[in-house]
Amino acid sequence: MTTKDLDFNADIARVCSLSLSSPTLTDFFSDSVNSIVFSPALAKDFLSNFADANGEAKYRNILQDVANHKTKAVQIDLEDLINYKDLDEEFLSRVTENTRRYIGIFSNAVDELMPVSTEAFTDDDHDILMTQRTDEGGEGVDGSDPLQKMPPEIKRYYELYIKASSKGRPFTIREVKASNIGQLVRISGIVTRCSDVKPLMKVAVYMCEDCGFEIYQLVLHVVILCLPKQEVTARVFMPLFECPSKRCATNRRKGNVILQLRASKFLRFQEAKIQELAEHVPKGHIPRSMTVHLRGELTRKVAPGDVVEFSGIFLPIPYTGFRAMRAGLVADTYLEAMSVTHFKRKYEEYELRGDEEEQIARLAEDGDIYNKLSRSLAPEIFGHDDIKKALLLLLVGAPHRTLKDGMKIRGDLHICLMGDPGVAKSQLLKHIINVAPRGVYTTGRGSSGVGLTAAVQKDPVTNEMVLEGGALVLADMGICAIDEFDKMDESDRTAIHEVMEQQTVSIAKAGITTSLNARTAVLAAANPAWGRYDLRRTPAENINLPHALLSRFDLLWLILDRADMDNDLEMARHVVYVHQNKESPALGFTPLDPSVLRAYISAARRLSPSVPRELEEYIATAYSSIRQEEARSNAPHSYTTVRTLLSILRISAALARLRFSETVAQSDVDEALRLMQMSKFSLYSDDRQKSGLDAISDIYSIVRDEAARASRVDVSYAHALNWISRKGYSEAQLKECLEEYAALNVWQIHPHTFDIRFIDA
Amino acid sequence: MVGPQYDFLSNPLGAVRSTFDTAIAAGTDPSSFEGRDWGAISLFRRFLFDQSGISQVPLLTPTSIRFLRPHTLVLYRGMIQDMPGNEFYVGAYKDGSVWRTNKFMDVSQYPICSSADARIWERRLLYCVPVPGLSPWTEVSAEEFGNLSMDWMSDSREKRRRDEESSDTPVSCEEVHDSPNTKRMREGEHSSTAPHSSGAATGIVSTATRLGYDIGSNSPPCLVKIYDSPESEMKLNDIFEFVGILTSPELQEDNEDSDLSNGFSEDPLRHFPPNQVPRLHCFIHKKLGIQDFLKNNPTVEPKLDLVKGIRESLLRHLTAILGNDDVTSHFILLHLLSKVHARDNDLAVGKLSLNLTCFKKETVSVFGKQLTHVLKNLLPFTFCIPLTVEYLNTVSLAPKKNYDTNRLETGVLQLAEGSHLIVDETKLDAGTLNSVGVENCRLLKNLMELQQVEYDFKYYKMEMKTDTQLLILSEGKSNILPADVIVPFHPSSNSCSEAVTVEDLEAWRWYLATVRQLPHSIEQEMQKEVERDLVAARQEDRSLGPQDLSRLLTMGRLMSLSYGETSLSLEHWQMVKELERLRRQRLQ
Repeated sequence: MTTKDLDFNADIARVCSLSLSSPTLTDFFSDSVNSIVFSPALAKDFLSNFADANGEAKYRNILQDVANHKTKAVQIDLEDLINYKDLDEEFLSRVTENTRRYIGIFSNAVDELMPVSTEAFTDDDHDILMTQRTDEGGEGVDGSDPLQKMPPEIKRYYELYIKASSKGRPFTIREVKASNIGQLVRISGIVTRCSDVKPLMKVAVYMCEDCGFEIYQLVLHVVILCLPKQEVTARVFMPLFECPSKRCATNRRKGNVILQLRASKFLRFQEAKIQELAEHVPKGHIPRSMTVHLRGELTRKVAPGDVVEFSGIFLPIPYTGFRAMRAGLVADTYLEAMSVTHFKRKYEEYELRGDEEEQIARLAEDGDIYNKLSRSLAPEIFGHDDIKKALLLLLVGAPHRTLKDGMKIRGDLHICLMGDPGVAKSQLLKHIINVAPRGVYTTGRGSSGVGLTAAVQKDPVTNEMVLEGGALVLADMGICAIDEFDKMDESDRTAIHEVMEQQTVSIAKAGITTSLNARTAVLAAANPAWGRYDLRRTPAENINLPHALLSRFDLLWLILDRADMDNDLEMARHVVYVHQNKESPALGFTPLDPSVLRAYISAARRLSPSVPRELEEYIATAYSSIRQEEARSNAPHSYTTVRTLLSILRISAALARLRFSETVAQSDVDEALRLMQMSKFSLYSDDRQKSGLDAISDIYSIVRDEAARASRVDVSYAHALNWISRKGYSEAQLKECLEEYAALNVWQIHPHTFDIRFIDA
Repeated sequence: MVGPQYDFLSNPLGAVRSTFDTAIAAGTDPSSFEGRDWGAISLFRRFLFDQSGISQVPLLTPTSIRFLRPHTLVLYRGMIQDMPGNEFYVGAYKDGSVWRTNKFMDVSQYPICSSADARIWERRLLYCVPVPGLSPWTEVSAEEFGNLSMDWMSDSREKRRRDEESSDTPVSCEEVHDSPNTKRMREGEHSSTAPHSSGAATGIVSTATRLGYDIGSNSPPCLVKIYDSPESEMKLNDIFEFVGILTSPELQEDNEDSDLSNGFSEDPLRHFPPNQVPRLHCFIHKKLGIQDFLKNNPTVEPKLDLVKGIRESLLRHLTAILGNDDVTSHFILLHLLSKVHARDNDLAVGKLSLNLTCFKKETVSVFGKQLTHVLKNLLPFTFCIPLTVEYLNTVSLAPKKNYDTNRLETGVLQLAEGSHLIVDETKLDAGTLNSVGVENCRLLKNLMELQQVEYDFKYYKMEMKTDTQLLILSEGKSNILPADVIVPFHPSSNSCSEAVTVEDLEAWRWYLATVRQLPHSIEQEMQKEVERDLVAARQEDRSLGPQDLSRLLTMGRLMSLSYGETSLSLEHWQMVKELERLRRQRLQ
């Protein structure tokens, strides 16, 4: 005999009002199986014999865990079903269109297959009750009474879910139509509301005062509307008042039944609302929402604000009673959740979806990936190719290194953009933040009291001193874009030195001494000291930042708004074109989607390329030659220091990552040197006219020297271009030079590839 | 073709059923009707347009709702304010051996037996409200509601007039009683419905603010149910005209069973009580533009000399109102014709927001009031925002989703396309903005620069494109609202408002509504010329950005449109440059 427990009585009202129930006892599944080809035997066969990729009996292991009370959820992956014995498409569609029934079939199969527990576990109420029931089993003389047959649901310790195949794109809420009713669908959305978790009665157990029998009432899935192959649930729970057992019937007694809360079976139940994601809403429409029912193990998995993907069965609930009259025939719908997947946002946690992996592989094979990716950054901003390349490298970054003695060398690249107001600096910054999975955009004059680094503040409630991170700390492991860098507070400016090299923020204030991680790549934008760049003054005067700070940037770019006829005409043409054709002129290429960009970068960031020994010498030579050049010049623009060498290594490593290569190649180093040179020339481009040689002969001497150094007679055009652009010359000038010297028979030019061959060896 | 067994106006459901029965009798499978028409719509289309039945369809207004019988055909105009989503209903079911349909109905006629063979279909819900800021002159008086201007019926108006000559009574509610279908109703249940629904009418007033519409306006909010039309056709904030079946607003809300569903899968329509928000099952819908709000819509071709004449008289009027400030009135004219005609990335091409500076508190009371009054008389949807610190700190400008009621709560900036907004900044004093105020400033700035309003969905914001003409009155250059054009206002005399004839007003309204819809292009040679001028201007003044160049082109476009011309001529381009020169002179 089971005991009545008064603790539960308080919940009675609530339980009664929310349960799904049936006024009749129909074991719905057993009689509907006949028509289905996929027989229970096949289900058993699948569960006991299915082997996953590693050859393990996946479901048998799960069932053993269930028997040992280690897990409650049995999740059948639809993909496993497809892989098993080559079941065909038709079968798949049968399962997705009538998932409810298949859950029943599999549950019955699991009941039969349930192994004996191999480990000891502490009995809970449920087990004690079950033991009692089995002991009493023989007592029921008239066991043929269906009301006294124990429904399988009450014995089940597990919950069975069928998970939709994760292939293909999930539905948006808008795409779920009336034709999807009863089907297994996958829906992505954002959770907007969650109810409390409440008990949901699955099997109500009554005790008859007269005959003393337990009466089971299955509170589940009742067919109200016989839609073809679809069943519908109603949310009515009609408690029993009279004992329906045979004994009472023969005795002509109206046996009084008492609901046994402790003996009844409950499930956890939670309702949630999901709403369409902003990117799935067509223009001019507002997001739709949908109710999701979560049961058992799936409860407490989501919170408002989570971006999730549910797979579940889309079901209607027809209104009943008076409400049906008022609302007519409108059916309320909900999704009965079968699985929940959270979307992740960080690089490290970024999981590539199937099609993305393919796409990345295809992109990686394409040799021109560097250009392609960099052009796709802020495609609507015209030109600035080298800057975009640098920004791409900033997104990719280089691996962090920790030396044996514990010293850390940062891998993040820092870039500073300087220039006249209105040259799209801020747009570039904002675009980069949009592409980066974790990015913080702020201005030098941060609006909050915390500023850029960190601040100690007094908590207004508890009066305790608390440490609050600023933008740089919040952007840990990401990118921090700081606009108006030159207008930074003095206190932040001192702290930022530490952030940019040591990548920590140290605080010693109000009794708190600590250091916070700020492993972030800094992308700064600054205006010249006098509002506009003054060409008559030296760059150092224009840039109103101390050298110590400037040297921490790997790359510095000066974007000037020069009074350039061509640029102005380009702009005027663009504006006229937009007015005339109501769209921007075609870009000449299709930019990659930011999501693809993000996926590619996150894949690239997993690599940690190293510099091979043979390249060490090359880098050292390059570094020393820059130093030499600087020593020769009487007015050096910049000071090449060890930091510069580290920058070269960082940029090269980032380039290697982009190629998905584990080693840095010479081309990477060349490109890194070129970028550094270009960044320098953006600052000092006016000086090159001062050198004695004219451009054409200078280019010739560069190409000749480089060829002589490598003792080659053949120089590829790409190499030549690389060398000369490092010195700040343009491609047009190179072509001019090639033609001029070819006419002098100094070299031969390949008519198509423009490769150079020196005639005299 | 019209069978005698039903009347389209008083028993539209009869038509629906009989066509359904015919279709079923013809052996069509009812499940094939999902998402498509079986002949009912085309029948109505024929009745409404080919047989000019539209002129007999009564308009749904707060007054007429009292007299309109449920299950009759009505006409409704409104702006889509919210989209509560889809509704699933049993579209067709088997009653015994007979197939029946529930399409265009809220409540099924016969109880459906639980084991019936049924098909579930879906329909779309739209919550519509009266167009915000609707000027009084656009409103259709009770006299006219029968012959409202859907433009496909303009020829039928004459006929209608003749029909009504016999009962040529003045405009009043009595007139409503005289229309044929209400007569029938009066015979029937007039005594029982009237007192009941007048109670409902007072209810409308009290909950008007909650439901998000103005009371003063001519149409009630309405929940429109749309069948079988592609989703992309109807967007938020579009103005539509619907013809459909009005369903019974009398059924009472039952609250008894509401405790049954303690989750939130409650009736999504709970917050649209049927006694305050009538339901309309839509047969036919049509998107309305500004020109549909003109009273007499002369579908005249915009002839050049005619347009030029109207332009001159309107400009004269504006100049007089603005105290003989010629430059300002030119800019106002261009501003009133502006319209976002293309979008490129985030850039809205064709907008021309105007900032009139040099207003003092005294002058704004004279000229500002005059101007507001004139604009209200000229444009169908106008709005005026008095910008004060308190207003900014309290008002909710952007619409916001309320997840408790599952409603999109409207904001001041949820406006129909082509609305005009005057922001009076002269009333602004120094003060502190709270976070709401800062957010509101940002919203206004975004509206100004990008013609977008961010709707707040709590977990994310959604940018909705708008097309609003913005006029700012301020003392100095407004920094909160950076307008495209800043014109210092220099009146040389007092504002004199001359008497304006109705004909003039109507001509001007027609002009403003029509001319701005004209297409526009720039010829190849002109493009070269314009490019040259733009480059020269930029060489001269480095501070000119792409926005300024774009604005000059917009002005060129508007200038030629104002003359009714569809391509930019050199003369008009010169006028624009001259206008710009005069403006710059004033700025110095």
